[in-house]
Amino acid sequence: MLIRKSIILLICTLLTGISLLAQQNITVSGTIKDDATGELLIGAVVRVNEVPSAGVVTNEYGFYSLTLPAGRYTLRVSYTGYKEQIQSIQLDQSKRVDWALVEDRKVLDEVIVRSVKKNRNITSAEMGTENLDMKTIAKLPVLFGEKDVLKSIQLLPGVKSNGEGGTGFSVRGGATDQNLILLDEAPVYNASHLLGFFSTFNSDALKDASIIKGNSPAQYGGRLSSVMDIKMKDGNKKDYTVTGGIGLIASRLAVEGPIQKDKSSFIISGRRTYADLFLKASEDYKDNKLYFYDLNAKANYQINKNNRVYLSGYFGRDVLGVGNTFGTNWGNTTATLRWNSILHRKLFSNTSLIYSNYKYQVQIQNNDNDFQINSHIRDWNLKQDFSYYTSYRHTVRFGFQSMHHTLMPSKFSGSLISSFPKTTRRSWENALYVNDDFKATDKLTIQYGLRLSAFTVLGGDRFNVYKNGELTDSVFLEKGKLGKTYLNLEPRISANYQLNDVSSVKLGYARNTQNLHLLSNSTSGNPTDQWIGSSYSVKPEIADQVSVGYSRNFDDDNYEINVETYYKALQNQIDFKNGADINFTPDVEGELLSGKGRAYGLELIAKKKSGKLTGWVSYTLSKTERKIDGINNNRWYNARQDKTHDLAVVGTYELNQKWTLSGLFVYSTGNAVTYPTGKYKINGQTVFQYSDRNADRMPAYHRMDLNATYEPAKKKRFHSSWSFGLYNVYGRQNAYIISFEDHPDDPTRTRAIQTALFRWVPNITYNFKF
Amino acid sequence: MKRLVYLVMSMVLLSSCEKEIDLKLKDKSGDIVIEGNITDLPGPYYVSVTRSVAFTETNEYPPVTGAEIIITDDFGQRDSLVYHANGLYKTNTLMGLYGHTYTLSVTVEGTTYTATCKMPQWVRLDSLKQDQIRFGTEVRYGVVPFYIDPPELGNYYRFIQFVNGRRDKGYYNFSDNTNNGMVNTRPLYASFEREEDEVKPGDKIELEMQCIDYAVYTYFNALAQIEGGGGTTTPANPPTNLSNGALGIFSAHTVQTGSIIIE
Repeated sequence: MLIRKSIILLICTLLTGISLLAQQNITVSGTIKDDATGELLIGAVVRVNEVPSAGVVTNEYGFYSLTLPAGRYTLRVSYTGYKEQIQSIQLDQSKRVDWALVEDRKVLDEVIVRSVKKNRNITSAEMGTENLDMKTIAKLPVLFGEKDVLKSIQLLPGVKSNGEGGTGFSVRGGATDQNLILLDEAPVYNASHLLGFFSTFNSDALKDASIIKGNSPAQYGGRLSSVMDIKMKDGNKKDYTVTGGIGLIASRLAVEGPIQKDKSSFIISGRRTYADLFLKASEDYKDNKLYFYDLNAKANYQINKNNRVYLSGYFGRDVLGVGNTFGTNWGNTTATLRWNSILHRKLFSNTSLIYSNYKYQVQIQNNDNDFQINSHIRDWNLKQDFSYYTSYRHTVRFGFQSMHHTLMPSKFSGSLISSFPKTTRRSWENALYVNDDFKATDKLTIQYGLRLSAFTVLGGDRFNVYKNGELTDSVFLEKGKLGKTYLNLEPRISANYQLNDVSSVKLGYARNTQNLHLLSNSTSGNPTDQWIGSSYSVKPEIADQVSVGYSRNFDDDNYEINVETYYKALQNQIDFKNGADINFTPDVEGELLSGKGRAYGLELIAKKKSGKLTGWVSYTLSKTERKIDGINNNRWYNARQDKTHDLAVVGTYELNQKWTLSGLFVYSTGNAVTYPTGKYKINGQTVFQYSDRNADRMPAYHRMDLNATYEPAKKKRFHSSWSFGLYNVYGRQNAYIISFEDHPDDPTRTRAIQTALFRWVPNITYNFKF
Repeated sequence: MKRLVYLVMSMVLLSSCEKEIDLKLKDKSGDIVIEGNITDLPGPYYVSVTRSVAFTETNEYPPVTGAEIIITDDFGQRDSLVYHANGLYKTNTLMGLYGHTYTLSVTVEGTTYTATCKMPQWVRLDSLKQDQIRFGTEVRYGVVPFYIDPPELGNYYRFIQFVNGRRDKGYYNFSDNTNNGMVNTRPLYASFEREEDEVKPGDKIELEMQCIDYAVYTYFNALAQIEGGGGTTTPANPPTNLSNGALGIFSAHTVQTGSIIIE
């Protein structure tokens, strides 16, 4: 035991270069939780009155550790939406102090106790990071009344929607697949239901969500543009509660409660749509199926004061069927087993074993023929993460991650199929990382780290090598053999310098790499979109991002302005050859071209954080381009997700104790698309002529939504609310698809047809909790 | 997949709506369009040379007269085509035979466009069989062309379908990479814009089966992908075997026909 401790200490010492003089100092550590439910709070801030520069934030498991010279201190603990707590402690020997914060329900009449430490934007070194407050999300208007984190983040600067009503998003010019979406650490490969109109995240089961736009700390890796880190609730440790909601499209129900009072808890949450019940009512569609469901479950068990295990899982499916003829279903399954351990008052360990599987199936049965498509992407993932709190100046995180991927591309089988050349491929991804959050001076905070990532192709297949889309070589790798390995070193640094009490400047640089690539030839995101790994032909994507930011708070931190600007250089970006076929071709890698990319932009957000009226205005001015040999004569061209202007105005107004009104307005430039520049005739049929890729624009998109929430007074423990909303208030027909065709009634003409979705979609949702 | 998207859209989102819009499209037309077909049927064969027009113009394509067109093959045939009418040029002596590789050369105003295409081996179209599929209360009728794919990989087929003499606009391109050496059982389902044009019992379906080479398959397969254009996929001009930026395709293929009355 002693040896283990000294080894750990030695490692940490080597890592940070801090001398063992730190032994003179004394550590206070513990956990911070919600007093009512026992839910551990992530990102709660612990401050010391006597040492203004000292301060730590609780980690994902509500743990903090702070080391100070011996003495008497006043500690202040704060967390958004909770009352601040102050406690005086005498530090002469290391001690454990746990906190239970009380929720601050109404912040209406100017509160005496400042409920939130509201200037985190000024003091933290994190760049391009947005935390989503689940309570704010709950009151925003949303399509079909299903509150959704993936839709709400699209209202933030630098995060853009990929299509009407959809959950696909693009961060700082990145593609949809360049976002790492984690649910309790498990990667979610397809975060959408019903072709993107709903996300796979049932808000009832969620505790916290944050998005980091390219400047993520070194413990995250594997995607170029962003990390969307979503954590499920642990469950109420004090009492049983039931929450639920009934909406026009879907209903939700969640049950949570203690397993052992104050120590362990569970939560089970489910959701299902019932659009198919309407189909049953219609004679034409009664044999058809169309629904999705989600199930989230989580349990945690406290072994002793220093050890806790968590088991969490997600299971979701979309099912679509037409009689007995056609059926398809797809969905994600994830499972995470975690063990938290406070090894030492300064050293926190988390070990996770993670499973993730995304699969889809298609079945066609007609007369004597049957035909199936099967595809899956399956991961096994082991993570070890340490947080080491050397002093109040340093918080060091280090660890490793080892992930095994199995990718089965759409595989055809059935009576019509004799052979299919696509085979399952396997790969192994490893990473080592270290990250230090360093409070250099009272004014300067630096977060710096390094991640070493390795991606190894595993044997069992023939790998073709292409150069500019032409086959040049072929390699057969036997099963069980390790093939090509790509090693990448990813340095990350961000610094915050506090100019004065109300303003700060930030600077950051980060390199990210990505070894899994999504092949999608459409904007909406289809369940059949394929993921491929880096191979002999496909190289890891690399992004280098530099960003500079400025934050200023006004009026006693009630108003906040953040400005960030970034430049991102991308390598090994993938696009398709002209007329590429990614579904039936034997080797899809032959249909790809690669090149470089660049993205730059300016992001502005102004927030009003307290009072009856709260909300924000966010605006992004940006450009994202690609330069790929073989496309547009090797010149720079707009990436599909390039949108010059993107504006969101979001407001919530508390009319009185019962009624809350909210509204939002969004405006954005249309996606870059390719329109015909001429036409001709081949074989008696009209064919459209195209020139440059993505040289045209969809019409600009804009929309306004309104919502009203009514919360009657709480009866004993029964709490309920009604939400009434209208999506697209002024009924604009925003173009979803523009297509070109021969005029059906006039063979001498061709025409352009616009398809618009969602004009005036109302919703009513009833939510309850007891 | 696009059809699946539409299906879902129409099933859930009854609120979606379509309308004709006026878009300011760029005009980069006026390019040379060449279409040449050589078949194993007796000649003459035709090569058409026209120019593309702007999207907003009527579907009339200006013929190119005065082009110099020569077709040769690897067995010593050489034919200089003569202008016929409407941009069409006609062969004189050329014979279309499978296994021969034909080279087309078209010279217009000093620029020469060339293409080479091998007429693949002939695969016998055995018969046509009716196929049907039920969507709820609705029944759709299709046709299965029966033929036995040769044992070696790399055979490509194209089908053109007529329903009561009306051309079906769909592109039907088959490769044998999933069913090499098997009897074909993949059906063809015609699709028309108007409900009243859909196939119903009593209708006569005529089918033309072509055995095509890989380049021609790639061309028509790309056309099938971008069918409708804009929005969902990134459209582009399909990759062609013609050089120098000419639009169109030069295809040497075998031709067989068959017909069936839907019951």
